[in-house]
Amino acid sequence: MKQYRGKLILISAAIALALYFLYPTYQSYKINKHLDTLSGADSTGYIQTNEKDIREARAKRIKVGLDLQGGMRVVLEVNVLKMLQELAKNKDDQFSAIVAEIEKEAQLSDENVTVIFSRKFEEKQIRLSRYYGSLRETNDEIVKKLRDESDKAVDRAMEIIRNRVDQYGVSEPSIQKQGGRRVIVELPGVSKEDEVRQLLQGTALLEFKLMKDPDIIYKTMEAIDKYLLSQGFSDSTASPSASKDTTKATDALTTLTQSDTTKSILAGQKTPEQFAKEHPFFALVRPDQRGLGEGYASENDRARIDRILKRPDVQKLLPSDMEFYWGAKPSGMSEGVKFYQLYGLKKIPELTGGVIVDARATIDPNFNQPIVTMNMNSEGSREWARITGANVNKRMAIVLDNAVFSAPKINGKISGGRSQIEGMENIEEARLLEIVLKAGALPAPVDIIEQRSVGPSLGEDSIQAGINSFTYALIVTVLFMLVYYRTGGAVATVGLFFNVLFIFAVLAAFGGTLTLPGIAGIVLTIGMAVDANVLIFERIREEMTTGKTLRATIDAGYSKAFSAIIDSNLTTFFSGVVLFQFGTGPVQGFALTLMMGVTANLFTAITITRVVFNMMTERGTATINFG
Amino acid sequence: MRLFKVTHIDFMGKRMMWYSVSGLTLLLGLIGIFFKGMTLGIDFLGGTELLVRFEQPVQINEVRGAMDKIGFPRSEIKTFGNPKDILLRTPEQAQGSVIAERIRSGLSAQFPNNHFSVLKEDKIGPKIGAELRRNAIYAVAATLLIIMIYVGFRFKFIYGVAGVVALFHDVIATLGVVVLFDGLSPYLNLEMSQNLMAAFLTLIGFSINDTVIVFDRVRENIKIHRSESLFTIINKSVNETLSRTVITSGTVILVLIVLIIFGGEVNRGFAFTFLIGTVFGTYSSIYVASAIVLDYTIRRNIKAHQA
Repeated sequence: MKQYRGKLILISAAIALALYFLYPTYQSYKINKHLDTLSGADSTGYIQTNEKDIREARAKRIKVGLDLQGGMRVVLEVNVLKMLQELAKNKDDQFSAIVAEIEKEAQLSDENVTVIFSRKFEEKQIRLSRYYGSLRETNDEIVKKLRDESDKAVDRAMEIIRNRVDQYGVSEPSIQKQGGRRVIVELPGVSKEDEVRQLLQGTALLEFKLMKDPDIIYKTMEAIDKYLLSQGFSDSTASPSASKDTTKATDALTTLTQSDTTKSILAGQKTPEQFAKEHPFFALVRPDQRGLGEGYASENDRARIDRILKRPDVQKLLPSDMEFYWGAKPSGMSEGVKFYQLYGLKKIPELTGGVIVDARATIDPNFNQPIVTMNMNSEGSREWARITGANVNKRMAIVLDNAVFSAPKINGKISGGRSQIEGMENIEEARLLEIVLKAGALPAPVDIIEQRSVGPSLGEDSIQAGINSFTYALIVTVLFMLVYYRTGGAVATVGLFFNVLFIFAVLAAFGGTLTLPGIAGIVLTIGMAVDANVLIFERIREEMTTGKTLRATIDAGYSKAFSAIIDSNLTTFFSGVVLFQFGTGPVQGFALTLMMGVTANLFTAITITRVVFNMMTERGTATINFG
Repeated sequence: MRLFKVTHIDFMGKRMMWYSVSGLTLLLGLIGIFFKGMTLGIDFLGGTELLVRFEQPVQINEVRGAMDKIGFPRSEIKTFGNPKDILLRTPEQAQGSVIAERIRSGLSAQFPNNHFSVLKEDKIGPKIGAELRRNAIYAVAATLLIIMIYVGFRFKFIYGVAGVVALFHDVIATLGVVVLFDGLSPYLNLEMSQNLMAAFLTLIGFSINDTVIVFDRVRENIKIHRSESLFTIINKSVNETLSRTVITSGTVILVLIVLIIFGGEVNRGFAFTFLIGTVFGTYSSIYVASAIVLDYTIRRNIKAHQA
C-alpha cells in the first residue's frame, strides 16, 4: 500500500480536478435539457430565475466550434495601403501613381506595406513630408509614425468591431487578434451575411453629443412610466434581479423626488412586486441616485427596454431633440448581473470625430490619475471652444457607433483645441477611450479575406456523426482489448475511460473549442491510448516466459516498455504542436485534442493502470490473465 | 489470444526485394501526383464554395447546366456524401455575397420544384490560399525535421535519418493512393483540404511510432547480444516486436474504420488518408527504416575494414 500511496493521491487529485472542470459542462447540458421540456413563458421564467447559474455554467463549459453549432467566421485584415492613402493630405496624380505601383508590388510580396511604401518614395526621391506630417520631419521620422499608426490600426479595428458586435447582441461572440494585422471574428448562430458585413466593414462614426438636463431626462422617464401604467402595461415577466433592485431604485426615487418639485411616487414601503405593478418603467430602468440623469438597467432587461423605447407612442413622449443611448460597456455588476447605463442625449451631435487629430492616454503627473488628452484641428478647436464655453457644467457624451463610451462634465471653456478627460478608473479604461477617440478620425479600413458560414442543420448532422463515431470507437476498442488481453484488457479499459475524462476536462479547463475534426482527434486518441498498454502487455507476456514472479513480471513490463512509450507519444505530440501552429479554426481544434489525448495517455498508461495491477498483486492475486 | 506465436521470419534477408517494392510504390505515387495531380480544395485555392442540400436527389449534369447558364463554367461540382448534397465551387471572387446569390438564384431557376437549403458557405481570398499552401509545406518540413532531430538524439543520427526517410516514403506513397482514389467514389472526398493536411501531419507523428518500437528493441538487443551481427539483431528485434507493431497500428485502424463509417463527410477523407498511411507506416518501419540502418552500418563497417 505504502509504495503507491503517493500515486493514489495523485490519481484521486487528478480525477477530482477533472470532475471539477467538467461540472459546468454537465450543468449546462442539464439546464438545456430541462429548458427543452419547458415552453413559452415557463422557459423564460426559468431562464430568469436561474440567470446566474446558467451564465456561469455557459462561461465555463466546453465550447463548441462553429462547425458544430452553426454560425459565421470572418477573418479581417487591415488594409494598410488604403489607410496610408486615407491619411495622406494634398494627394495629387503623382501620389496616386506611386500608390498604384505599391499596390501591385504588395500583392506579390510578403514585405510590410510600410516598408515598400517608404522605398518607393525614396526611389522617386519624393519627400514624404509632402503628404504627411510637417515639412520639417525627415522621411524616417514619418515612416516611423506611419508604421506606428498601422500597428495601432488593428486595435482600433478590433475595438470598433467589438463595440458593434456587442450592440448587435450576438451571444458568445469571439473576437481575436491574429498576428499583427488580422482580426478573427466568430459569431455563433448568425447567418445574415449582409448585416454582418455592414457590422464589420462600415466606417466608424464618432460623435460628441450633449447630455440633456437631468431634470428633463427624469421627467421623460416618469412620463413613460405613467403612460405605460395607463396603457395597462403588464410586467408579469419582470426579471427578479430587477425587481430586487427596485428597493434600491425606490431609495433613489426618494432622494430624487425630495429635491424635485414633482409629488407622487414616494414608494417607500412598497414591496418590489407592488412597485413593479405601479411603475412599469422605473422597475426596469432605475434613475441615478445622485441625480446625474443616467438610468441603470440590468443586461437582462435591455432588449425589453429597447422594445418599449422604439414604440411610436412612447417616442412621442420624448422631447423632440432627445434620444436614449446605451453605455458601451457595463457600468457595474450586482449579483453576477451586469448593469448598463441609459443616457438621454441630444439627437444632433455638436461635433463629429473627424476633427480629432490625436488622442493619448497617460497618467497625470500631478495627481497620479489616468487621463486622456485630445487634440483637435484648427477648425474643430474653434467650434469646440464655442460649444464648451456655452455649456459649462453640462455633460458631453462621447458616442461611437451609437454607444456611449464616456460622458465627462465640461469644467470650462476649452480653447486651443487641447482637451483633457479625467475620471477614468484605471489606465486600461483610458486606453480604451484613446482608441475610441481615434476611431472617429483615423481610418482602419479592413478587408474580409475569409468568410465561412455553417448552417444549423449541417451542425446537427456533424454533432450526430461525432457522437456516433466516438461511441462506436470506444466500444470496438474496449471489445478488442478485452478479447485480446483479458484481465489486462479490462484494466486498460479503466485507463481508457479516465483518459477520455481527462481529455474533456483539459479541454474545459483551458477554454478549448470542440470541433468536428477535434472529435476525430479524440476518436483517434482512443485508438492510440491503448497502444501504450499494448506495449506494456506484450512486454509482460514476454517477461512471463522467463519465470519471474507476477509482481516482478509486471514491474519489468512497465519499466522496459517505458522508453518506447515516451518516444512514440512525444513524436505524436510534436506533430500536434506544429499542426496547432500552422492550422486554423477546426484543424487547430484537432491539434488541441490530439495533444491533450497524448498527454492524458502518458499519465493513465503509466500511473493508473500500474496502480491497479499493484493493488491486485498486493491483494494476493497469483496470476493475472494477459490473454 | 495471440495473433503471433514466436516468429522467426528472415525480414532483413529479403530487404533488397522490398527496396524495389518500396521504390516502385514511390515511383507510382509520384507518377500519380504529377500526372493525375491532386485536387486542391477551397482552403488552398480560394474562391467561393457552397454546400447545398436538395429535397430530392439531383443529377450532377443538371447542376452543371445551371452553373454554366449563370456564367460559372469553370466551377467544380460534386456530390458530398449523398446524392442530395451538392458541393459547388467556383474560383471566382467578388466583394460581398454576389456570387453566392447568383448561384442561389441560378439553382432556384433550374430546380423550381426541388427546394434546397444552403448548409455551408465559404469564401476564401486568394491571399489566404497562398498562405495556407506555403504553411502546409513549412509544417510538413518542420515536423519531419523535429522528428529527425528527436530520433537522432534518442538513438543514433543514422536512426533519425532512416526514420525520416521511412516517413517520407509513407507520405509520398499515401499521397499517391489518395490521388488514385480521388474522384472514384462520390462517398469519398479526397481533395487537399486543411483536414487532409492534418491527416498527413498526424500521420508523420504517428507512423514513426512503429519505427521507434523496433529501434528501441534493437538498442536493447545490441546491449544483450554483443557478439551477434546487426543483421541478426535487427531480424530478431523485428520478430520480437512484430505483434506489437501490428496491434498498435491495428487498434488505430479499428477506430479509423469507425470514423470512415460514422464520422461524417468531413472526417471520412481524413480517416481514409490516415488509414492508408498507417498501413504504409507499419511496413516502412521494417523494410525502409530498419533496412536503411542495416545497410548504412554494413557499408560503414566495410569501409572501416578497408581503411
